[in-house]
Amino acid sequence: MKPRLPLAVVSGYLGAGKTTLINRLLSEPHGLRLLVMVNDFGAINIDADLLAEAGDDTMTLTNGCVCCTMGADLYMAIGDVLDRDTRPDYLVIEASGIADPARIAQVAMAEPDLVYGGIATVVDGQTYASLVADPLIGAQIERQTSVADLVLISKLDHPDPALTLRLGVQSRAAVVDLAERNALAPLLFGGAPRSIPMVKGQAHAPYVTWSSSSPIQLDHEALLAKLNTRPAGLFRFKGFVAGPSGRGWEVHCVGPAVSVKPISQAQGTKVVGIGLEGQINPEQIENWWLD
Amino acid sequence: MSDIVVYSAKKIITMDVNRPEATHVAVRNGEVLAVGDARCADQWGTVTHDDSLKDAVLMPGFIEAHAHMMAGAMWEYAYAGFHDRIDPDGKLWPGLTDIDAVIGGLSDYAQGLDDDAPLVGWGFDPIFLKTERLSKKHLDQISTTKPIAILYSNLHLMCVNSVALEMAGFDHTTNAEGVIKGPDGTPTGELQEMAAMFPVMRRLNIDFRGLSQKETSIRAYADVSRRAGVTTVTDLYSEMEEEDVATMLRVTGEDSYPLRIVPALGAMSGPKAIADKAEALAKRSTDKLRLGAVKLMTDGAIQGWTARIKSPGYVGGQPNGIWNTPPEVIFQLVEELNSRGIQMHIHVNGDEAAEVALNAIEAALRKHPWMGHRHVLQHCQMMGRDLFTRAADMGLCCNIFANHIYYFGDQHVAMTIGVDRAERMDGARSAIDAGVNIAIHSDAPVTPMAPLFTAWCAVNRQTTSGRTLGHAQQITVQEALFAITLGAAYTLKLDREIGSIQTGKRADFTVLGDDPTKVDPMALKDVPVLGTVFGGRVHLL
Repeated sequence: MKPRLPLAVVSGYLGAGKTTLINRLLSEPHGLRLLVMVNDFGAINIDADLLAEAGDDTMTLTNGCVCCTMGADLYMAIGDVLDRDTRPDYLVIEASGIADPARIAQVAMAEPDLVYGGIATVVDGQTYASLVADPLIGAQIERQTSVADLVLISKLDHPDPALTLRLGVQSRAAVVDLAERNALAPLLFGGAPRSIPMVKGQAHAPYVTWSSSSPIQLDHEALLAKLNTRPAGLFRFKGFVAGPSGRGWEVHCVGPAVSVKPISQAQGTKVVGIGLEGQINPEQIENWWLD
Repeated sequence: MSDIVVYSAKKIITMDVNRPEATHVAVRNGEVLAVGDARCADQWGTVTHDDSLKDAVLMPGFIEAHAHMMAGAMWEYAYAGFHDRIDPDGKLWPGLTDIDAVIGGLSDYAQGLDDDAPLVGWGFDPIFLKTERLSKKHLDQISTTKPIAILYSNLHLMCVNSVALEMAGFDHTTNAEGVIKGPDGTPTGELQEMAAMFPVMRRLNIDFRGLSQKETSIRAYADVSRRAGVTTVTDLYSEMEEEDVATMLRVTGEDSYPLRIVPALGAMSGPKAIADKAEALAKRSTDKLRLGAVKLMTDGAIQGWTARIKSPGYVGGQPNGIWNTPPEVIFQLVEELNSRGIQMHIHVNGDEAAEVALNAIEAALRKHPWMGHRHVLQHCQMMGRDLFTRAADMGLCCNIFANHIYYFGDQHVAMTIGVDRAERMDGARSAIDAGVNIAIHSDAPVTPMAPLFTAWCAVNRQTTSGRTLGHAQQITVQEALFAITLGAAYTLKLDREIGSIQTGKRADFTVLGDDPTKVDPMALKDVPVLGTVFGGRVHLL
């Protein structure tokens, strides 16, 4: 059986910096084979050299809906990727500037072959306040941050604590100023085993990582109850959890989102967590999980 | 045998003011040579008389100015809608008006399927079923071994049976927004929006892309059109990939293919790229495949509460709808396409969307004045006299969604915009009085393609429940017939060639069993369509 494919959605209004973010992710040494899907009005500005270098690819889509917002094309393209002989390690969808990213990301909750990788919404720190006040488009833009699991602020020379607070209250997501982080892949793609050492090796590790192997067994209900009490600063939590009678669960938490899907054979419970430095430490995660 | 054929008819309604009625039409090389009596073409040489249509009434071939090619291909699946509908082969599918009828009708259909084939239905509309929601419980009565998926008419929802739920891995542990669960915590079978529908569609091989691109779809579209008396049809949001264009050129290029298709390229990339593509396509136009126009989306649909509407908004207090193209991009697209001389069809359901489109066109025309652009606002459902007047001022056409009055009028009164605005929606009277050139349309497959029914809607404004929704917006039979012929031709810039039966125009006729100008206006929709004549070739049903 092919492994489940994690799907992350990058959203944000026109000009917020979605493509810049994706180019930046492509250039980081995370070791993942990414597939980027772009569903937008403008020209595609994904850096072809970066794609070639990383052995990744990109697909562009149009929107084939006859009446409104069904966007069947996007889903059919996801189906094509799932049907490939070799799936990429991660699917990144750059949503259109006015798309509701939750509508796209929900497919990762529903489709058994996908894993929910979260919604990252890029916000132009200079124009956000005036955009959300726009009577025509404001509500739609605000929705993009409200449903985000991670809000990334772009284009500010200095962090804006008021904006960070506002976005945090509005979205329940982690809010990060892009200028303040040198590695983004751990946030976007989580503590994948291959990427964690890279993060640890940095002079200023901006992330806290934790992992655990244990004989813990949880049924579906107990697992959900456990996840609901996870510490606030634990941004990502993922892995395999053994359940009763030889079955188990694949777990992915991103910000406020929780996804639990069945697996047929759990080989013990192995989980990893990642948080933002200063907001949490490994002991807190350990105490919560083993409690 | 002479190459001039003179057809006789009980009556020919020409839609040409110079000779509104005739009994004979002469055709040469696919073109109307003369109109009048039996001797109308005598001065052109030897003629052959053809009396095969002598008992029929001829009109200019009807023009469906807003439809989608999917209208033909949906019939690959079982029809499960509330209203009676006729498939491309002429078979009547009676409306399934309650849940028992749905179960019974689909059970019969399932008998004819291969054992391993899924049962896929379409056109189901829960808005008409008052008693309970369709669920897996009902569909399990049809089969407990075969996967079943019933698509709703709006294509945003489906209901599936237990087998299909199991294939998609949906159970009590599923935590996805669109997978609806019942009081017992298990999925009910109802799946809302593509994200939740996708896992089932993928496993049942339901592929929307194929529905409008396959050769069989292009042929089925011609069958659907011919049954409705349509000789020129639009496909108003086409992706126009190279492979699709080649297939369409080949199929429509066959002499026996009885339909002219006017696709509009969907504007889903940057302004310059879309204009370049439209220009390149225009160069490849043929008589039966007219390329070069572009379709722009703006808002959603009123019945889905996704249309952008002006104050006071939706009666249920729902938030305003959504933009499928951001207003600033609408402005950029309109400016670029207008400056390049490319005709646009702009989807506007809500009045706020119409206003934004009008503002964008006004700005574009101030920069790049263009006499005779004939850009078309499509649907125009909530435009009032003020917005129609602005459209007329700028030389815009309006293609009005008249069928909505019958199919959704009652719902608009009760659930979306309330009675006063519903009574003036799809206001063809205001549009004509404001001086706008109008067409009226079905948006097939959203509602069935049948221009005489569409004309009936605009004339009578009767809803499904029998209510007359806004007497003041009714138009005359003559105005409605104009809107499905010459009016529609004008919106497609084809009025030089089609839209009336007149010397020098294409010999495209609709063959009718009765005279639509003489029947009771309430019987307009019942005038039988016997077939079409396309470029002088007779295609009876």
